Amino acid sequence: MTIFVIQILNSFFYAAVLFLIAAGLSLIYGVMRIVNLAHGALYALGAYVSAWIVGSAVGHALEGTLGLAGMLLLLPLGAIAIAAVGALIEPTLLRPLYQRSEEYHLLVTFGLLLILEDVMKLVFGRTPLSAGTIMDRMGSIPVGRLMYPTYNLFVVAVGIAAAIGLWAFIYRTKFGVILRATSQDRRMAAALGINVSRVYVQAFAIGCFMAGLGGAVVVPAQAAVLGLGIEVLILAFVVVVIGGLGSLQGALVGAVIVSFVRTAGIQFFPEIELAVLYLIAAAVLLVRPTGLFGRA
Amino acid sequence: MEQRNVDRRSFLNNLGVTVGAAAAATAIPAMKPASAQTPAAPKGKIPDAPLRLGHMTFLTGPAAVLGEPSLKGHLLAAEEINAQGGILGKRKIETITADEAAGTDANVKELRRMKLSEKIDLFTGVISSGNTPALGPVAEELGALTIFVDGCTDFLWDKAVPNPKFAFRITNIQSADGVTCALAAAQTWPQVKRIAHIHPDYSYGRNAFDHFNIAFSKLVPGTEVVSEGWPKLGTTDFTAHITKAMSSNPDLIVSSVWGGDYVAMYKQALRYGMFNSAKFASTIAFGVAPHAIGKDHPEGVIAGVHANYYFTFPPGNRWPANQRFVEKYYKRWNEYPNFQSDGAYHTLYMYKTAVEKANKLTGGWPEEEAIINQLEGMYFETAAGDLYIRPDNHQGYKDAVTGFSKNVAEYPFQILDPARMITIPIRNITAPPRWPKPGSGHNDPTATYNWIKETWPQVA
Repeated sequence: MTIFVIQILNSFFYAAVLFLIAAGLSLIYGVMRIVNLAHGALYALGAYVSAWIVGSAVGHALEGTLGLAGMLLLLPLGAIAIAAVGALIEPTLLRPLYQRSEEYHLLVTFGLLLILEDVMKLVFGRTPLSAGTIMDRMGSIPVGRLMYPTYNLFVVAVGIAAAIGLWAFIYRTKFGVILRATSQDRRMAAALGINVSRVYVQAFAIGCFMAGLGGAVVVPAQAAVLGLGIEVLILAFVVVVIGGLGSLQGALVGAVIVSFVRTAGIQFFPEIELAVLYLIAAAVLLVRPTGLFGRA
Repeated sequence: MEQRNVDRRSFLNNLGVTVGAAAAATAIPAMKPASAQTPAAPKGKIPDAPLRLGHMTFLTGPAAVLGEPSLKGHLLAAEEINAQGGILGKRKIETITADEAAGTDANVKELRRMKLSEKIDLFTGVISSGNTPALGPVAEELGALTIFVDGCTDFLWDKAVPNPKFAFRITNIQSADGVTCALAAAQTWPQVKRIAHIHPDYSYGRNAFDHFNIAFSKLVPGTEVVSEGWPKLGTTDFTAHITKAMSSNPDLIVSSVWGGDYVAMYKQALRYGMFNSAKFASTIAFGVAPHAIGKDHPEGVIAGVHANYYFTFPPGNRWPANQRFVEKYYKRWNEYPNFQSDGAYHTLYMYKTAVEKANKLTGGWPEEEAIINQLEGMYFETAAGDLYIRPDNHQGYKDAVTGFSKNVAEYPFQILDPARMITIPIRNITAPPRWPKPGSGHNDPTATYNWIKETWPQVA
């Protein structure tokens, strides 16, 4: 029984991380119709920046002054940094390409992925960075005869808070209305006096913030390693394929499905752990080509 | 000839498994190994055109923490040789690098490009066992002299290139890795019955799994594999694999997860209490650049180094070649070498020595054929011990090592305890020359697997 409790918690943990990434990916596609291949690299960059900030704080004996709460508050700094990077990327690299076909978007964002990977290697080196202090301070809670890290529950909470926050932001604020209007018809939105360029920068920055937040919350539990963003990008695409590209609910449901199927695969079919995920994605595509919540 | 009723201790003694800082008696006949000394003046006229070398290793991705030390070892050797005027005093080394992370197909194209358009004289490096079986046949086809640093799968010589002419490899053969880990675990924890495995889902993980199991079951009767986890290479989330392994109530958890993946894995395993719930043995945990392993890593676990080399062993001046190498490497790179550094560094010196020996015989810059003749059967001093290049399969063999993790004050990271290193003569854990290869008389995973299955006694 214990094992199922822990595997379910593990699945929610991974679902929270996947949701943060997939929600950003979906938001950017929903508003700007750009498939951002660099999204995984932005997630990894968020992990590196957060690990670096936390690591520096620990190194400089700020640790005592900050306390656990202070250290946790350092994590979103990584996400804010990635949002700033996003606000820089959109007007310089993406804006000139909106009139062009999708292949150009893929080329540019893929190039960006490679550049970001090299930048991380150059700036942070090849040795993995860790922010494990945070996790160690939070300790573990006993579940039966096994243990579960308290920090992972915190990540699940962040995932839930982010889902609610993002939903409220998009469906309950004026900016959300503008965002949805722009997403539905860019020209009409512009004709109504909306500054579409500004909306695009903001949407892209929010998407990047989500990716950076994903990296920031995952790094105390794992470590920032080169190539961190690659596997997660693939899984995030599986999530949005299942959930429907451009849909927030889709990202949430997709993340939960992918995470639970992955855990079940590891537990029961270790030999085909990865294949199971693609089978599910293929099945969804056959039945609903636009994904569970996608619009045609 | 099946031996009956052998007890474990005497069988381990038969295998020559040595614990402690004592340098193991070598399995290779006593003769003076070639070493990297400044030779007498070369014979004949030597051209002064630079030598062009290709070095392929992981420069990006999670494997870079294992791959970058390979390039650093290579560059250090090249700089030293160039400072002495180059090979045979004339030909300086120019290195072209390639990122192995480009993928197998791209790597094959890159080797072709290096040979055909860059006209390289020697191709070296390569880490992944997924890549050498693709690159080996191409090197043979192109006639490109190649010394692989790693990518040590048995499959390369068992199947992909059964009769190599141009391809060599310097690190220990992969089957030795799983077997070494199994011998160390059987000697240390013979009471183990229930074993859980976590291995990367590709050829290396499968090889480690197979060879650990065959060797361990010979030494410890009545064992059972209670859990298997096959994470994808490049995964950083291991929580479900760890939970699954722990929930199976294992006595021992065995893993061959490596590089940045391993760093992420052990940090998660710590928080799940995995290292408190079972013994832990890894084939390659400490194969990464040494400083990548934090002091938070659990002490007293078997933390393998791919059965090759760890910089603290042999300690002090007991094996001067190691002391010299570590000092030079640290001075140049401000970090300590791993087994890839040792392999890449000594690849160049071994090549240099072969060229010098061939020059003595033929004069001038020797033909490739003459260099190959010198490499075949070469007995060579490295930081890791004496290395022997077996002529039949062009594979380098040296005594296998593994050890136990320990924190000491001298280093800001965790090391392998030099006082508890386990050394095993390689001859006793690998199939001898001409042992039937898979597909000829048996269908076991490797020749060594079949050899262990057929010839090792079952400990009662």
